[in-house]
Amino acid sequence: MTTLFLVVAVAEVGVALPLLVRMAVGPTVGDRAVALNAFSAQATLSLLFFTAFASRTIYLDVALWTSSFSYLGTLVWARLLEPELL
Amino acid sequence: MREVVVGLLCAVGLFFSLSGAVGIWRMPDLYTRIQASTKTITLGALPVLAALVVGTGLLTPYTSRAVIVAFLLLVLNPAASHAVARASYKTGTPQWEGAVTHEPEQGPRS
Repeated sequence: MTTLFLVVAVAEVGVALPLLVRMAVGPTVGDRAVALNAFSAQATLSLLFFTAFASRTIYLDVALWTSSFSYLGTLVWARLLEPELL
Repeated sequence: MREVVVGLLCAVGLFFSLSGAVGIWRMPDLYTRIQASTKTITLGALPVLAALVVGTGLLTPYTSRAVIVAFLLLVLNPAASHAVARASYKTGTPQWEGAVTHEPEQGPRS
């Protein structure tokens, strides 16, 4: 079961690789913000499964902070584009 | 038995996550990329979190964090994507030339 957790953690990172391409070549700021949003979701899931593999529950809080504050980052980018938002 | 259930849920979630990532990579403009992003990322994350709950047991720290992360995904991912789409539309990010609807004179709903 723990090997399966590690496989899923690595696979989530591998799934997120096309998002890195979009984050690198995205023509506008919005493209990069969308790719960052999706990438942080994948990073959160990967971190949760790595925690289950390594049995170190301290990483769970890191995943929680990642999942809550990455959306704040996306909202900040949207606020940068349109100042009357928020 | 639990390994089979966890493997199936992870396979479903990874398939949807991969389709969302390829959609963000290959779609022609920003709005279709957001379209590919929101639904498939959420739908890909929920079965994987369910697999984590099934694989580690119900009354563990993993379950509470998985539930919190699922709630945050369901609430904040559409809100953030909507904010990015609205800001990009109002600042004039160009649409794909095959888009059928563009109503700039309508303005934001009051």
